[in-house]
Amino acid sequence: MSKSYTTFKIHPSIGIARLGNSDQFYIAPEQPGTLPIACDTSGKEKQDANGNPVRVSSFKDDNDLSKIKKQAARFRVFAYADEGDSEGKEIQVGGKYNFIYQTAVTAPRIVEGTVTDIDWTVHLANKKASWYEFQETNGQHGYAPDHPLRNPEVTQPDLRRQLIIDPGPVTVNLKNNQGAFAKFGSESKRNDNSKNKKVAYPQTFPPADIKPNSIETLGSVLVNEQDKNIRLLVLGGNGNSGSTKTPVIDNFVNNDGWFDDISDGPVTAKIEYTFINISYDGDKEIKTKTKATMEVQVPAWVVVGYPRYAPELEDMITMDETMYDIFVRNMAYEPRLFGVPPFTIENNSPTTQEELDLWKNAARFNPDYYPKFYRDIWPILRRPYEQTTFTMVFDPSDGGDPHNRGTGGNLSQAALSQPPQNGEDPNFKLRQFVLGIMRKSSQTNAYTVEGNAKSANKPRLMPMLCGNNPLTNVSPDKFLAMRPTQLFFLRQWAAGKFVNECQEWEEGNPNCSNPWALPPTTGIGIDRGVLGNAVGGAFCPGAEMTWIMKNPAIYSEPYRIKHATYVPGALSIPKPIADKDGSTAPNLKAGLEPGDLTKYIGVPWQADFHECTDQNVDVTYENWNTIYPDSTGDPVQQQIAYNIPWWPAHRPMVVFESLNGPQVYWASGIPDNNAGDLQMVEAWKDLGFIVSSGEGNNKQFYQVERNNEALGEPVQPGNRILGLGDTRSKSKK
Amino acid sequence: MASTKNQKAMYDQVVSILDTLQGNTIPSYQGLYAFWQNPEVFLNASLYGQRLIAPQDGLTTQTTASGCCGSSAPATHAPDKTMSPVKTEGCCGSQETATAPIDSQPKLTSSANLAAPKVTTDCWPSGGSSGGGGAFPTVKRSDQSGIIIGLKGQYPFDGSMFPKLLWDTTNEATAEQIQFIANWIDSGCPLTLEEEQTNKLQMVSTAKVSNLVALARGEMLHAQAQAPTNESKASVNGLTVRKEVSSLTAEELETFREAINCMNQYNDYWQDDRSFDYWARIHTNSCQHGWEQFLPWHRLYLYFFEQKLQDYNPNISLPYWSWTDYADVNTNTFNNSQFDLGVIPDAYGCFLTAKGFEKLSTMKAADGSLLFSPKETTALASLTKKGTIFNSGLRFLKAAGIDYEIINQNNVAIWSPKINALYTVLKEVNPLWFPNRWPGSLNGTAAISQYPTKDDIALILDINNFADMGGGSAYDHYFGALEKVHNGMHNFSGGTNPNYPDNNKDWVKIYQKLNLTPDPQNLDNPIYGWMTDNRTTAFDPLFWGHHSNVDRIWAKWQEQHTGTPLEMDAVMAPWTLTVKEAMSIQKLGYTYMRDSVFYPVSNAVGLTQFKAAPAQVSQTTLQAHRKAEIVLHRVQMGNLQNASIRVFLNTPDASVDTPITDNPNFVEAFSTFNGSCFGGPGHCNLPLPNTRTFDRRPLHNHEPRNYKIDATDAVQRVLNNGAKNITVQLVIVGLNGKPVENAVFIEGVSLNFMD
Repeated sequence: MSKSYTTFKIHPSIGIARLGNSDQFYIAPEQPGTLPIACDTSGKEKQDANGNPVRVSSFKDDNDLSKIKKQAARFRVFAYADEGDSEGKEIQVGGKYNFIYQTAVTAPRIVEGTVTDIDWTVHLANKKASWYEFQETNGQHGYAPDHPLRNPEVTQPDLRRQLIIDPGPVTVNLKNNQGAFAKFGSESKRNDNSKNKKVAYPQTFPPADIKPNSIETLGSVLVNEQDKNIRLLVLGGNGNSGSTKTPVIDNFVNNDGWFDDISDGPVTAKIEYTFINISYDGDKEIKTKTKATMEVQVPAWVVVGYPRYAPELEDMITMDETMYDIFVRNMAYEPRLFGVPPFTIENNSPTTQEELDLWKNAARFNPDYYPKFYRDIWPILRRPYEQTTFTMVFDPSDGGDPHNRGTGGNLSQAALSQPPQNGEDPNFKLRQFVLGIMRKSSQTNAYTVEGNAKSANKPRLMPMLCGNNPLTNVSPDKFLAMRPTQLFFLRQWAAGKFVNECQEWEEGNPNCSNPWALPPTTGIGIDRGVLGNAVGGAFCPGAEMTWIMKNPAIYSEPYRIKHATYVPGALSIPKPIADKDGSTAPNLKAGLEPGDLTKYIGVPWQADFHECTDQNVDVTYENWNTIYPDSTGDPVQQQIAYNIPWWPAHRPMVVFESLNGPQVYWASGIPDNNAGDLQMVEAWKDLGFIVSSGEGNNKQFYQVERNNEALGEPVQPGNRILGLGDTRSKSKK
Repeated sequence: MASTKNQKAMYDQVVSILDTLQGNTIPSYQGLYAFWQNPEVFLNASLYGQRLIAPQDGLTTQTTASGCCGSSAPATHAPDKTMSPVKTEGCCGSQETATAPIDSQPKLTSSANLAAPKVTTDCWPSGGSSGGGGAFPTVKRSDQSGIIIGLKGQYPFDGSMFPKLLWDTTNEATAEQIQFIANWIDSGCPLTLEEEQTNKLQMVSTAKVSNLVALARGEMLHAQAQAPTNESKASVNGLTVRKEVSSLTAEELETFREAINCMNQYNDYWQDDRSFDYWARIHTNSCQHGWEQFLPWHRLYLYFFEQKLQDYNPNISLPYWSWTDYADVNTNTFNNSQFDLGVIPDAYGCFLTAKGFEKLSTMKAADGSLLFSPKETTALASLTKKGTIFNSGLRFLKAAGIDYEIINQNNVAIWSPKINALYTVLKEVNPLWFPNRWPGSLNGTAAISQYPTKDDIALILDINNFADMGGGSAYDHYFGALEKVHNGMHNFSGGTNPNYPDNNKDWVKIYQKLNLTPDPQNLDNPIYGWMTDNRTTAFDPLFWGHHSNVDRIWAKWQEQHTGTPLEMDAVMAPWTLTVKEAMSIQKLGYTYMRDSVFYPVSNAVGLTQFKAAPAQVSQTTLQAHRKAEIVLHRVQMGNLQNASIRVFLNTPDASVDTPITDNPNFVEAFSTFNGSCFGGPGHCNLPLPNTRTFDRRPLHNHEPRNYKIDATDAVQRVLNNGAKNITVQLVIVGLNGKPVENAVFIEGVSLNFMD
């Protein structure tokens, strides 16, 4: 009998923490479009009578609307009994698993051990200031040697490395259960009782006098035990951003001298266990209780983002959907959906690079795949209506909302959810119409549907959101298109090949409209649920993460970031500088280091965040974003697509002031200019959060907890007050 | 039977299993709901593209809700459009517009004015919706059925796309329940107990396990296989057998007719090689006559046509028309001044079935009245009831009291609507019959015609060089003796149209009255039958039986002589094979037998005695055959004791003690010669069947071999002694003269009669 060892994995594969200036925190939601999970001060999840998580109702400190609570990224270790185990189960103190036991002098062997503790190690860093300038799509496939760096005057490698905020790794467990990514000796480091709090590390932090806010920490970690489960919580920074110079902001994404306390980095774990070691003295059996540790084979990553002001509002494309599409089409993640006919697992398990190349050449979407309506289709059609409330793009007085989901609407849930039945398919044309206006992958620079109609009002292609680059002439990518896998789902759906889960598997539930509403229990369910709350496009540069997530090279397996080995205090810097002293340059093939996912994002984050409302996109020519007809007296009439939103679910524009209250500008009080960007460096903590009331298509979203004391009374659209000008952002990024 | 009274039909049990599994909550199942409760739905519907019960022929067809080629199909089907489980033609990629006449003689098609049945359904088997192929899938029907795949939880019901069936219930089908439903599907989805019984009869196996030992010891009789001859032959890797047409079993003849009927449905598609006329036109355009390629070219012609038929059903082979069997009845019909008196095999004759009659009796004329008068209908009913088979359509008309009528259409003579309707139905009833065929004498040749007799053929077989028998080379070309006889038979088969002006004074007047000019090549009313003209002959299905016989006589000649055509490397268009490659019918995979009887034997038990049930062959076969042989099929050779096999006829109590000298019923005794095993484990196991296309290795050492025993004389002896039928017995004797149990393992015995 051969025993197989247990495979351990950390879930979620990528956790999302969020900045906050309060000491209080809650736990990241593990499903798309749900409120965060409430917890006690030690990070233990609060549960209702049914064992389901209690959701938070307040995002700020009880008595202080200028204090935003942090969102903790929670991690757990799951055990997978064997290769056939695809769901896994969270490990527990006292649980018995098959560990690989190995010492310097013994060969590895499998022993049954009892878990006593987990040593969690997290290493956060912020590399933004040390990295290249973000220039839209430029750099997506490597940087030209002359691609400008942020802080270009810093060309000495050691000084360049000083631009990285690197507090070093922190290891915590049940006994040493608190740690901080803070400067040694700082106030933030005081409560640190982590295992390696005293271990020297060549930390790098920005100068203490940066303005307006200095940065002495990137966050903290803590470990708790809940129902015998040992869990890690990672908390991000305080939202502090500052500049070494007199603080001004003149760019949405590249501002020299600036730092913020966004970060990301690897999460690894070592399981401590005991087992009875049997040795022999002659015939005498000697049993020794032995302590040992085993590294969790499949580690994770944590990303810190800015607050999710509208947690229940799903982005048009989530990060989970973007990544899923990459894995499906590049990594044989779901052969039944995309693979080499006959789409079996056996036929689609490339193990070497050569096999993968062959696979990629032959693989395609399975024409007989039946997507599921509520899982694969409805989110795409449900989100637009929710988001129009936040953009004011569609004026209800202007002929109604084209995204209407009610009976008779373009996106009527009742009609669109019906597959052909018994040869009858009355909604075929409606589905074909919806598919027809969805922007295809090849139409990212097209504004309206193609066709010969002379009408000036040809239907706009959907989603009508900005793309990865509506700004410059390098590789323009004006508008957002759903991911190829989603478009494939839509094609199957339009052709009538789809299943309505409610009709087939939820017949007992008359109100079924989201069969996927229950919190996930599997490891992969948590991975995907967490990522469902991050923006999956467009990436200009994005919110939490950017286009680097679309590069299959950064993954060790689907949903897992490849970890690089790195030298403490010598994290990589851009190649042109690294080459000067032969130090580490970025190497995607070898894996990622702390800070490598967030380094692309704008610095300080508040600038891009403030400007990411909407955009006027020049659609005169498909291949040009910027044209200069005046310079040649060219009489061309420029065509502009006005007010194309970015990602309304992450950066609301217009909100209801209260339930059934009037619509107001969300960022009222912060002007739409560079000064406003600078103001946002402080004002982000005063903004309101958006919550919902009602269910399904009757859900209403409204604002709570806005700090009017700091920002003033919100302004209704149409009203102008001094200093605000036209509050609709049209500034070219 | 009393016991069946309380018995529940399988289908009812299937419904009850599924009802119980589902419980009270029935999900939509794409609008089908409890689909198993309605047999119509269960058997024909698809659940999300998965056919719940695979169609019988193994074709994976789907009823698609939307139109084809992604057209924005109308949301609802027209109410009168019946949903066909089979794909219908005529959407994009349709051939309907691609029927531009490319052929050199586009007008020429069989029975030009017969209302050719339009292809509404695709009757031809195929390997799938795209690509070619004609092989039948061997997978079980249940394995392809969505309900079984779904209950088992196999892809796509493995959770990757859909969950296991049934849905919205926590009940799961047990293995036994799934097996029960699978059995029901594999037994043809009978809906009632009666249907079950009928299906069961067809499935009776040759021997139940408990009977195997009794059979192997001669305590039970081995029954003759009821399967088509070629299925039996294929089971022992034997050559395909072309039988004499009257020896075809009812099932074999029916399959052959179905195949031709199916081919006729594609006649509108000029380039489709599934169309019967496509093959007929090959003769029109490429046939070889009057020189040495006559025999080899036609051999290949038949071969390729037969291959096509075998795509339809692998058990089909071309039967032959043994002319000389009909010599006696035809001595006076061929050299006669009266026409349409000849006799041909019944298989090609004209008759009406109940189904055909039903069609005719309700047919309406253009004015809305019944097409056939009450008197005619009564006559047709009577002919149907009697089942009389007529040698020509004209003789059928006479018997039915229906006048043969033609009309003038644009100065061309065509059949009247009534005749046209009647002929159309008759051709559907028997696609081997042909309207423009009046077997008998040719006008003006009465004095010189001669129907061939056995002696005539014997003379041909005696010719000792190829050219005189089969035709001269291109350098000195002339008709061979066999071809000359063949020519005469063409003329006899087609015969003279008794209703053509040149042949009948009455019809001169009829033509005048109709204001028609006689046209000897008129399609409906020509001067002679189509068999008489090498341009049109192959449109008459009798052609294939006729030429099969020519080919058989040549093959028989080849057994006795060594001559060949002069140019062996010439390629014979349109085929890509050479004359040389047409020289062996064995290499082409077939042989000729008047009739053949096969007894399946289990190779699971060592044989000590074999006792056969009487061979079911016709008295004609017993009397007319030239040679009789007994074949032991697939006798194993690996690691077995040698033994002696004694063969007897009509000795039901044969044993080791039965004398083998001075015994007229004794046929032959022979020894086996086996080898012992020297290899590793499994070395002496049976080799795998050679199924790989490119496996060109010779016969495997351990491939079981056949023994052929010439029983001609012995059969003759027992018949002379008054036997009315033939039985075969084998007795296995060890080399020590005593019974031996584990020495002989075989898979079949056949008794073959050759002409």
